[in-house]
Amino acid sequence: MSSWLPTNPSSRRWLGLAPTYLVIGIFMLIPMIIMGTYSFMEANPYGGVKPVFSTAAYLQLAWEYDLDGTLVFNPGYLKIIWRSIGLSTMATVICLIFGFPVAYYITLQPENRRNFYIYLITIPFWTNLLIRTFAWIIILGRNGVIELPLLSLGIIDKSLRMMYSDGAIAIGLTYSYLPLMVLPIYASLEKLDFRLLEAASDLYSSRLEIMTKIVIPLSKPGIIAGCILVFIPCLGAFIAPNLLGGGKKLMLGSLVQFQFASARNWPFGSALSMLMLAVVVMALIFYARGAKKRAAGAES
Amino acid sequence: MATAAINIHGVSKVYNPGSPQAVQALDTVSLTIHDNEFFTLLGPSGCGKTTLLRLIAGFEQVTGGEILLFEEGIENLEPSQRPVNTVFQHYALFPHMTVAQNVAYGLERLKKPKDEIRLTVDRVLSLVKLTELANRRPSQMSGGQQQRVALARALAPSPKVLLLDEPLSALDLKLRQAMREELKQLQKETGITFVFVTHDQEEALAMSDRIAVMSNGEVQQIGSPTEIYEHPVNRFVADFIGDTNFIDGEIISVKDDLVSCRISANTVFEAEDSGNHKPGDQVTLFLRPEKITLTSDAQIVNGESHAGKVTNIIYLGNQALLSVDLGNDIELTAQTRPREDGNLPFAVGDSLLVEFSKRALRVLAK
Amino acid sequence: MSDQLTRPSSKRKILPVGHYRGLGLWNAAFLIFLYMPIAVLIFYSFNDNRMVMIWSGFSIDWYIKAFNNVAIQDAVLNSLIVAFFATVISTAIATIGALVLARGGNFRGKTMSLGLITLPLMVPEIVTAVAMLIFFAAIGINWGLGNVIIAHVTFCIPFAFMPIRARLEGMDTSMEQASRDLYASEWETFRYITVPLLMPGIIAGAMLAFVISMDDFIITLMVSGAGSTTLPVYIYSMIRRGLTPEINAVSTLLLLFSITIVTAYWIVSNKTRTETVH
Repeated sequence: MSSWLPTNPSSRRWLGLAPTYLVIGIFMLIPMIIMGTYSFMEANPYGGVKPVFSTAAYLQLAWEYDLDGTLVFNPGYLKIIWRSIGLSTMATVICLIFGFPVAYYITLQPENRRNFYIYLITIPFWTNLLIRTFAWIIILGRNGVIELPLLSLGIIDKSLRMMYSDGAIAIGLTYSYLPLMVLPIYASLEKLDFRLLEAASDLYSSRLEIMTKIVIPLSKPGIIAGCILVFIPCLGAFIAPNLLGGGKKLMLGSLVQFQFASARNWPFGSALSMLMLAVVVMALIFYARGAKKRAAGAES
Repeated sequence: MATAAINIHGVSKVYNPGSPQAVQALDTVSLTIHDNEFFTLLGPSGCGKTTLLRLIAGFEQVTGGEILLFEEGIENLEPSQRPVNTVFQHYALFPHMTVAQNVAYGLERLKKPKDEIRLTVDRVLSLVKLTELANRRPSQMSGGQQQRVALARALAPSPKVLLLDEPLSALDLKLRQAMREELKQLQKETGITFVFVTHDQEEALAMSDRIAVMSNGEVQQIGSPTEIYEHPVNRFVADFIGDTNFIDGEIISVKDDLVSCRISANTVFEAEDSGNHKPGDQVTLFLRPEKITLTSDAQIVNGESHAGKVTNIIYLGNQALLSVDLGNDIELTAQTRPREDGNLPFAVGDSLLVEFSKRALRVLAK
Repeated sequence: MSDQLTRPSSKRKILPVGHYRGLGLWNAAFLIFLYMPIAVLIFYSFNDNRMVMIWSGFSIDWYIKAFNNVAIQDAVLNSLIVAFFATVISTAIATIGALVLARGGNFRGKTMSLGLITLPLMVPEIVTAVAMLIFFAAIGINWGLGNVIIAHVTFCIPFAFMPIRARLEGMDTSMEQASRDLYASEWETFRYITVPLLMPGIIAGAMLAFVISMDDFIITLMVSGAGSTTLPVYIYSMIRRGLTPEINAVSTLLLLFSITIVTAYWIVSNKTRTETVH
C-alpha cells in the first residue's frame, strides 16, 4: 500500500474521503442544489421546468391567481402544512410519553437483558415501513381486527370509521418512528450515573422529584435528539398519510410526491421540499446550539 | 455511656437471594454506634462495609435483622425519609447544577424557607472553604474541591448521622492527609455522628474514635484505634492493620497472663496471653516490628536477646525494615532508623542481637 | 443463617432507588404495540379468504400463489440485484471513509466530512427522493435499475458507515502500534491487524446497508422507471389494487428476511462486544 499511495497524510485523507464526496456530493448535494434552483422556475405542464426565473412556486403556498389575474389568499396549502406540523407534533409527543418510560425501564435492566430489549425495539425499525403501515389497515379498517369483535359482540352496530382520519395517521406516524424516540433517550440514560439518583434520594427527594430534578434534566440531550429524529421524518412522511389517510388527508410529504407523480408541478414540489429542508436545518441548528452550550458548560 | 445513634442487630444481607448468584454480603452483624462519635468501618474490599453503609442509608434493604436509628426502626423508610446523609465515594455531584445549587438541593427538598436555605448554604460553604466557588459547576473543579462540595452538600441539611463512603480514596496522598485532619475537625465542630468507611488502616487509625474491623461480611473486632492496633483479637485484624511478625508455636506452660511457647526444638519464647490458653495449645504469636530492638554484636547481652543475621533490607527513607534470620527457621521483620549521617546501622549479612519484651509478644486466639 | 435466606419477607417491600411501579407493565404494553401489527400481518397471511379481513380458514395457498407470481419474482430479483450492488459499493466507500475519519486525527474539514456522510440520514426521505428524481431527469440519466442502484448506494453509505466507525473507535490503536513495533510494514499492519479486527464492523455495516436497501420504498418509487420495480414498490402497487392475503404472504416473507439479517447482525455485534469487554 505504501508503495503507490501518497505519503503526505493530508493527500491520503482526501484520497480516502474522495469516494464519499463523489457519491454523496454528486448524487445528493448537487441534486438538492438543482432542486433549489427548480423551485425558482416556472412549471412545465408536461413535467420538468421552463428555465425562467419565477417566485410563483413560493407564492403558491399561500396565494393563487384569480380568474381575472389578481392574487388572492388561498389557505389550502397552508392548512396542509399546518396539519402536517400538528400531526407531526402530536406523534412526537405521543412517542415521547410512550417511549421515555420504556427507555428508562431498559436502562434499569442488567446488561444482557438491556441488549435484548434494544434488539426487540430496533427490529421493527429495520423492517419495511410500508408493510408495517399496511398492517394497520387490517387493524383499523372496516371489519378489521378492532372492529370485527366489537361488531360481532354487538357492542357497536356500525363501523367506527377509524381509517382515513387524522387519528389513523397519527397512530401510523407514532408507530413508524417510535424506535427513533426510544434509542437516543436510551443512549443518554445509559450514560446516566445512577449514584446521582441515590444521592438525590439521600437528599430527601421523592421519587417524582428524582425524575423531574435529576433524570429528565440529565437526559435532555437524548430527549431533544429523539424529538428531532421523530419530528423530521413525520413531517416528510408519505406512507402513513397515503395508506391510512387515504390520500385525501394530505401531509407535506404526500403533497410533494403528488406534485411530481400527478400534478406535474415540479417547481412547487421543489419549493415544498426546500421548506422541509429549512425546518430540518433549523432543528439541527437548535440541537447543535444546545450541544455546544452543554460542551461549554462541561469544560470552561 | 453515650446514647446510641445506630443500633445494628444481627443484620444479614444477601444479594440475589434464591438464585445461583446469591452472595452473602453481611452475616448477622451486630454493633452499636454512639452519638457524636467518629466511627469507622474498616476492611478490605468486599468485606461488606459499604453494604452496611448502604443499608443504613436505605439504598438496600436488609435480608435479616434490623437497624435502629436513635432507637427507632427505619426499615420502612425510603432513603429520602431517613435523617442521614451520605458522602459518596465518587461524590455523585449533580453535574447540571452549580456548587451552591448542589448544596441547597437537600434543603429545597425539605421545603425550607428561601432565606434559611441561602444562609445555610453560605455557612456550609464557608465551613468547607468554598465560598468563592459557589457558582462553579462540579466539572470545573479539582477532585479535592469536588470532595468538599460533596461534604458540604451532605452537611447542609444537618443530618443526625453522616455516612462517608471512602470519600478520600480518589484524592492524592498529600490531599488525603490534609483532609483527614479537616474531617476530624469538622466532626468535632458539628457534633454529628460520622460513620466512615475505608480500606485504609492509616486513615482509620488517624481519625476514628472507634473502629470496626470487618472481613467476609462479619465484624472481626470493635475497639478504639489503640485497642485494635495493640490487642488484635485474631490473625486477620493483626495482619490487616500495620506490619506484623507471626510466629507459630505450642504452649508449654502458663503462669498468670504469661505463657511459655515452644517455637522450635530449642527455642522457647515467653509471651503475653489475653485469651485462656492451656498447655498443649497450638497458637500464633504476633510481634510488631517497631517493638524489636536491634543491637550490634559487641554490646552486652542480657537474658532476652537472640542472635541473628540480616538477610534483607527494605529502605523506606525515614525507616528501614530488616529481615533478620534467628536460625531454626525463625525469621522476623524489625524496624530500624537511619543514623544521623543518613546511613543505616546495619547491612545485609551483619550479625546482630534481637531484643523484645515478653509483653510485646502476644498470643492470638487462633 | 439459612433460615434468613429462605424466610419469606413479611415486610412491606421498598422499591430500590430509581425504580418505579408499573414500568415493567408499561414496557410490556409498548412491546405489544410494537409487535401486534406484525403478528396480525403474519396471521392473516394464512387466511383462506380473498378478502384479507374476513377469516375463513387456514391455508398456505397465498404463499404458493406469491411464489408463482412472475411479477413478484421479477421484483424480488430486482431488489436483490440492487441490494447486492448497493451493499458492496456503499460498504467499501464507508470503510475507507471511516478509516480516515476515525484514524486520520483531527484535520480541517473533518466535521464537514462527517456532516456530508450523514447527510442522507438527516434529510427527509421524500426530499432525497425528489432531488434525485430531478437530478436524473435533468442530466438525462435513464439507466433503469442503474438509477436505483446509484440512489441506494448514496443513502446506504451512512448506514454502513456507523457500525464501522463505532468499531474503529472502540479499537485500541496500541495493537497497530505493537504491530509496527514488531517490524510489520504499514500494509502488513493494515492487512493482518486492522482489517481482521475491523471485520465485525464491516460485516455489521454491510448487513445494515443490505436491509436498508431491501426495505427502501419511497426513494425507489420516485427514481425507478418501468421494468425496474423492486419488491416494496411492487407491494405498494398490490395494496393500491386491493387487499388480498397475497400481500400479507409476500410481506411476511420480506419481514422475516429482514428480521433474520438484523438478528444475525445483533448476534455478531453482541459477540464482538463481549469479546472486547471480556
